Amino acid sequence: MLKTVFEKHLNILDYSLSSLWRRRLKNASVLLVFAGVIFLLASFQMVTQALTQLAKDSLENTPEITIQRMSAGRQEAIPLAYMDELSTIFGIQKVVPRIWGYYFDEANLANYTVMGLDVSAMPFGKKLNLALREGRFPEREGTGESVIGQSVYTAKDLKNRRVISFFRPDLSLKSFKVVGIFSSIVDLLTSDLIVMNIEDARDLFAIAPGFVTDLCVYVANPMEVDTIAKKIADRLSDTRVLTRSQIMKTYQVVFGWRSGFASVCLLTALAAFIILAWDKASGLSPEERREISILKILGWETTDVLAVRFWESFLVAALAFVIGCTFAYIHVAFFDATLFRPVLLGWSVIYPSFQLIPNISVDDLLLIFCFTVIPYLAATVIPAWRCAIVPADSAIR
Amino acid sequence: MLIELESVTKIYNKGRPNEVKALTGVSLTIEPQTMVCLKGASGSGKSTLLSIVGCVFPPTSGRASIAGKQLSRLPDRFLTIHRRETIGFIFQQFNILPGLTVMDNITLPLLPLGVSPRERRKKARILTEQLSITHRENFLANQISGGELQRVAIARALINNPPIILADEPTAHLDSRLSMEFMSIMNDLRLAGKTIIIASHDTLVTDHPQVHHIVGVKDGRIHVP
Repeated sequence: MLKTVFEKHLNILDYSLSSLWRRRLKNASVLLVFAGVIFLLASFQMVTQALTQLAKDSLENTPEITIQRMSAGRQEAIPLAYMDELSTIFGIQKVVPRIWGYYFDEANLANYTVMGLDVSAMPFGKKLNLALREGRFPEREGTGESVIGQSVYTAKDLKNRRVISFFRPDLSLKSFKVVGIFSSIVDLLTSDLIVMNIEDARDLFAIAPGFVTDLCVYVANPMEVDTIAKKIADRLSDTRVLTRSQIMKTYQVVFGWRSGFASVCLLTALAAFIILAWDKASGLSPEERREISILKILGWETTDVLAVRFWESFLVAALAFVIGCTFAYIHVAFFDATLFRPVLLGWSVIYPSFQLIPNISVDDLLLIFCFTVIPYLAATVIPAWRCAIVPADSAIR
Repeated sequence: MLIELESVTKIYNKGRPNEVKALTGVSLTIEPQTMVCLKGASGSGKSTLLSIVGCVFPPTSGRASIAGKQLSRLPDRFLTIHRRETIGFIFQQFNILPGLTVMDNITLPLLPLGVSPRERRKKARILTEQLSITHRENFLANQISGGELQRVAIARALINNPPIILADEPTAHLDSRLSMEFMSIMNDLRLAGKTIIIASHDTLVTDHPQVHHIVGVKDGRIHVP
């Protein structure tokens, strides 16, 4: 009995395949459009996941806590004297001062991120050398040295030159020797970055001696980060205390918002496609009507005809899902999501050109499946009921 | 009796403005292993009568018993099951699906029965050999001649080995040689134990010596000429 039921469904599946093949042109066009919609949705999901993962990896070596001084709701320079206050808080491993600012390059219409700090003072300083494509970080005492990101290197058209110059606020020129270039692997965070000695950054931005833009706090026990952050906020009431997890959340929100916005647009396209599929499935061509009435008069039940419709739709949808997801993976992994890069990466002017590693979980695949395949099945099988109740006698009349 | 109709009436779209009374008080009995011809003009009610005998739908009123089952008492699903076990259809237009091969067309009624592909081919091969179309098995239906299409339709009607064969205007698209050939095959099937009911107004069929009874149908009633 069970074998017969199994064999019956195999037969119906076999018939569905042959039916799809007989209407291959119509089905291929549906498959193509559907695979396209799934490709767009899956690409967005994969890029969002990849960016979040990349941000997570890149933030791994950043300080657990960053302290900035606020005045009238805006950031201003923080005195180095605050470090003395921090030294009294138990659990803080190290405090590294940093100058973080932006430099607008009028010639290239590009906004660079300038970071002045003593890399060797950071607990993971040596590890950071791995982030360099070539060279080294500036020496602690050596002034006039810098490490630049990929986009800065390209924008400044350095080629074999290793000297770059920037204007101070008083329009006097300050030159730097480029001693290192960041690897593209960490491009998300370093693409527009220029790292230099803290004294050089102070000189470039004309920041008063004894002041920096923020203090980087490293904590011995990662479990204590939130507690220590709270203590710092209590002691230094005019500061903003940012933990690494908060920064990570900001990245997720930014990418998630952009991806979400784009997904809403894509879901609209999907809805239009589903409505079209419903409309097509609701109407029967005279050939299809004739075929159903022949099958019914030959002893096929309404449920058998519905099963054919289900398998036809499922095969188209499943194939479109596999094709869409595969092409989305190729698009993200091998073409760096070229189509969506501008939408998802709202960088200031210069866009990072980092390698995306597609990261998609079973949950994400299931989500895409539920948003695409299931509505398509519903849109094609439910109206098929009306088609399947074509009276058998129309084959005789 | 294999087929018994008693005061059968069939009304399409009953109670609606487009109501049509197709059959009125039809009583008919058909014995097994006979060849019966339903004769009548177009619109006389032949196809409706054939549909009731073929278990396609039950009558609106009256009693119809086909191979021991009362049609009016059978739900739609069981009507379908009874039809596929009891009736083989041969249509006027042959109703062969053009995109399928001859073999696939012949085995169509076996698919919902869960018959394996090997068994299906085996059953179909016996029929294609009997009807001399083995060499066309893998041809698409639109690649063979009208006479061969007729044989494919006969093979498909026989694949489930039903006791009753119904043919609706089977010679309408055949020349006289092929029509005679068709009648000869029908007679062979009758001799093999089948009951044959042919709806036709073709004299080659109605005047055929092997036809046992001719039932005239006119304006939805049995008509004695």
